[in-house]
Amino acid sequence: MHETAIAQSIIDTVMTHADKAGAKHVDKVEIEIGELTFLGIDQIRFWIENQIAGTVAEKAEWIFHSVPGGIRCPACQYEGDIKTAETEDHFRLPVFACPECGQANIEITQGRDAWIKAIHVEID
Amino acid sequence: MKTILTGDGRTLSITPQTGFFKQNTALAMENKKIFTDAGIIAVDILGSVGAGKTTLAGALVAYLKGQKRLAAIAGDLTTEIDAQRIRAQGAEVLQINTDKGCHLDANMIKNAMDCLNLSNLDIVLIENVGNLICPSGYQLGAHHRMVVISVTEGPYQVVKHPHIFQDVSVVVINKIDLADVMEVDPQKLIADIHTIRPGIPVILTNGRTGQGIAELATALKLDK
Ligand SMILES: Nc1nc2c(ncn2[C@@H]2O[C@H](COP(=O)(O)OP(=O)(O)O)[C@@H](O)[C@H]2O)c(=O)[nH]1
Ligand SMILES: [Mg+2]
Ligand SMILES: [Zn+2]
Repeated sequence: MHETAIAQSIIDTVMTHADKAGAKHVDKVEIEIGELTFLGIDQIRFWIENQIAGTVAEKAEWIFHSVPGGIRCPACQYEGDIKTAETEDHFRLPVFACPECGQANIEITQGRDAWIKAIHVEID
Repeated sequence: MKTILTGDGRTLSITPQTGFFKQNTALAMENKKIFTDAGIIAVDILGSVGAGKTTLAGALVAYLKGQKRLAAIAGDLTTEIDAQRIRAQGAEVLQINTDKGCHLDANMIKNAMDCLNLSNLDIVLIENVGNLICPSGYQLGAHHRMVVISVTEGPYQVVKHPHIFQDVSVVVINKIDLADVMEVDPQKLIADIHTIRPGIPVILTNGRTGQGIAELATALKLDK
């Protein structure tokens, strides 16, 4: 459900900007999706492609980039990736703690949002 | 936002870069401030359909009602059933029906807050829509997020949904009375939770008998 809402927001944003710029065509849209958002890129792409027939974005190329989760440790100032660990049953799980000093109260700095990085339009 | 015209003047690059979750997160921060200024502790209760969110909210109301003034906000696609169940335990309850929405968002909470008399309350329990995926992305402005899993969901619920634990402050393993019949080892679930979130409080409960509810209230700092 939540992918359809994000897809609609992406379309609305692209159309608003294309309109404001007086675009003839939208060539390319670059979208960044944080890995901690749970958003399925394939589903978003499917919903967008379903909705844009007959618009100036009909032939646009939709490029999705996945943004990995990032954390910051207030104790030792570690800033970087979320590491994973293996459980007894050999499942790999993300670890929301500092990989350097073990601090459990970390801050999530990246990966919880999604945004349009760039809209490339042809105006003439 | 920046707009760049290319060399030949025929194409434009527009960079809106506004996060789709940003507005919700900002609104959640406002909600949190309103709760805090009113001296209220708000708890966002997450968990699958049937995990025991309503039962536990009701049990917390029954346990705390002598000493605290409680209200609850119940989120569900349709019906008033959960609101009535929590109300029966002695709290003011608002039902939010999300229709087709798979999660509550900060704006729904803001609207609900307008209908509550905040100066008469100490605690607001918010039952999110039964879902272990979407609610995680939408902060509401609660001071605590608690996830309820139950042993009836089987032994792999934690390893299958690790990301729901990313910003919760307390985890409940409910229906502990059924652990043996379900052949689920709660200690293993705790170990999995602690792999993702080292040291996070994990409370074992039986929502029907009230076992573990006092401990849960303490972990959420509701009984102080
Ligand atoms: N055996 C047992 N049943 C429970 C427990 N907690 C809740 N239930 C039952 O589980 C069902 C679903 O609970 P409910 O609170 O509606 O789940 P929700 O969908 O998460 O709100 C109800 O029939 C409850 O009576 C428990 O600890 N043990
Ligand atoms: Mg319920
Ligand atoms: Zn550290």
